[in-house]
Amino acid sequence: MALVYEFVWRVLHALLQLQRTIITWLRVHVWKWSGRLWKRATAALLVSLALGFPSHKKIGTQTAKRVSRRVRLGTDGKALEKLPLHVGLLIVEDDHQYTDIANLVVWCMAVGISYVSVYDNAGVFRRNNSRLMEEIMKQQRELLDPEKRRTSLELISHSSEQQEPVLSCQTVVKVLSPDDGKLSIVRAAQQLCKSVEQKERTSTDISVPLLDSLLRESKDIPDPDLVMKFGPVDSTLGFLPWHIRLTEFISLPSHKDVSYEDFLSALRHYAACEQRLGK
Amino acid sequence: MSWIREGELNLLERLFANILKAGPMPKHVAFIMDGNRRYARKRHVERQEGHTQGFDKLAETLRWCLNLDIHEVTVYAFSIENFKRSQEEVDGLMQLAKEKFLRLLDEQENLRKHGVCIRVLGDLTLLPDDLQRLIAKSVVATRAHNKCFLNVCFAYTSRHEIANAVKEMAWGVEQGLLHSSDVSEALLSQCLYSSRSPNPDLLIRTSGEVRLSDFLLWQTSHSCLVFQSVLWPEYSFWNLCEAILQYQLNHPSLQKAWELHRESQAMQQLEADRSCVAELLHHRSNGKPVDSQARQTALLRYAASREERVRRFLCTLQQKRDAFFDHMSGPTVLA
Repeated sequence: MALVYEFVWRVLHALLQLQRTIITWLRVHVWKWSGRLWKRATAALLVSLALGFPSHKKIGTQTAKRVSRRVRLGTDGKALEKLPLHVGLLIVEDDHQYTDIANLVVWCMAVGISYVSVYDNAGVFRRNNSRLMEEIMKQQRELLDPEKRRTSLELISHSSEQQEPVLSCQTVVKVLSPDDGKLSIVRAAQQLCKSVEQKERTSTDISVPLLDSLLRESKDIPDPDLVMKFGPVDSTLGFLPWHIRLTEFISLPSHKDVSYEDFLSALRHYAACEQRLGK
Repeated sequence: MSWIREGELNLLERLFANILKAGPMPKHVAFIMDGNRRYARKRHVERQEGHTQGFDKLAETLRWCLNLDIHEVTVYAFSIENFKRSQEEVDGLMQLAKEKFLRLLDEQENLRKHGVCIRVLGDLTLLPDDLQRLIAKSVVATRAHNKCFLNVCFAYTSRHEIANAVKEMAWGVEQGLLHSSDVSEALLSQCLYSSRSPNPDLLIRTSGEVRLSDFLLWQTSHSCLVFQSVLWPEYSFWNLCEAILQYQLNHPSLQKAWELHRESQAMQQLEADRSCVAELLHHRSNGKPVDSQARQTALLRYAASREERVRRFLCTLQQKRDAFFDHMSGPTVLA
């Protein structure tokens, strides 16, 4: 009998895997197909509008496409009822696509999100920090308006860099690894125990706000409001345990070829969530 | 309604349970039982009725878990943040808890038969005195049981738990039991309220909310998180099966991620020991170079002495915690 059960279990799981793959495939391909149509329509519209102006230059379809995206990027952030202050991009896939992550970061900047954290549990992005930053700069140049380009990029690992006070669009990008999670809590605990050892504090002084202030470092970075999780694993895999107390988790199938519409629909989903804070 | 619901699964449920059990099963499942109030609104009944039905559903779910060979369950019963709710609702919830723990004390025989051990995780000192005493009595009465475990998080938040663990370690340092360099991830885990449980394999939150709300943040860092839209009082056996299926799909990748984490944890411990030994040797030899053989021996000796310190500290901590419950449940307090 046990063999029969095991057989049925295997069949069931094979079916579920298949269903998952089909859904992911459909999401990517159907979107691409319909997206292309949609983009073409917008481009055509914009071209005709541009041509309607008296002092016009002929705008090619390529430029028009970019214009359409710029326009949308600027207004989409304002159209949302509630925008997260801090977004975590949590990658739980074996594949790591720098361009796609850079795109996501740049979209975050464009809609007006102030803090973006990128995380994967193997620390791949952290190790290749500079490559990711380069890619972000590149995507930024391609996607954003010139006046918005002066976004300051600050890394937690090189925090000596001073932020310039620039225009309204100021985004801090952090690349995190598991070392910023439990290990940072352990370090804070060690620090507190050391001060107790040296009789600077007593154990009764230790409280949630004290620990919180140590874990927040000197920077005034808020807890992430929203984590977009990319990949098939349903887990945080060690992402900032202390800071995700009230974080909303939204799951997307993959960061590979992720579209702006997917990103925006995640933000819309977040805007619709109501937080009761224990009440 | 009692804590353990008698009864077996029907034929179809039993069949499906057996199929599920052919795969990897979670050993410990945690629940955020959300949606009691929304359920009450939907059904046009009193809010308190929603909470009562929520408790009944817990008893039913525990039975399903036993049927599925899941022997440890942790539930989020009351958060420290919940004290912010209206006085009337908080009083109602405290009253419900009192009734249920009284009931539990009446059912001791039944709990003994099933070997159910009840633990209450949280800062009990925030609760009314009489409830504290009832909880302590229930915990002491079922302490020796070891077949299945129900952890009830009451007056709990995860940040509070972590801060408390740090406080306990600092207390150990004050008492001269620990060195500040002994503080590690493993030690912190063992100072949490949940020190006697393995980490949950699966965390289920009902009613469609997609956040952890300060629940087991430390313990679930590599658990499978399943968010289901059903309201808690309407939770069914099939909802539970669906969550377990999702866990099984995740199982290989979670296993891999956990291995990776364990390796890096071991590395960190070794690194910490090395730097402590280096400092010790530096002091002892007054800056003269030490050969690698002596270094290796010193490292092993240091690791052994650290483990001994930690073991002794954890023993003392456990005694301290047991003593709290003994004291609260003792006749002197009740008088």
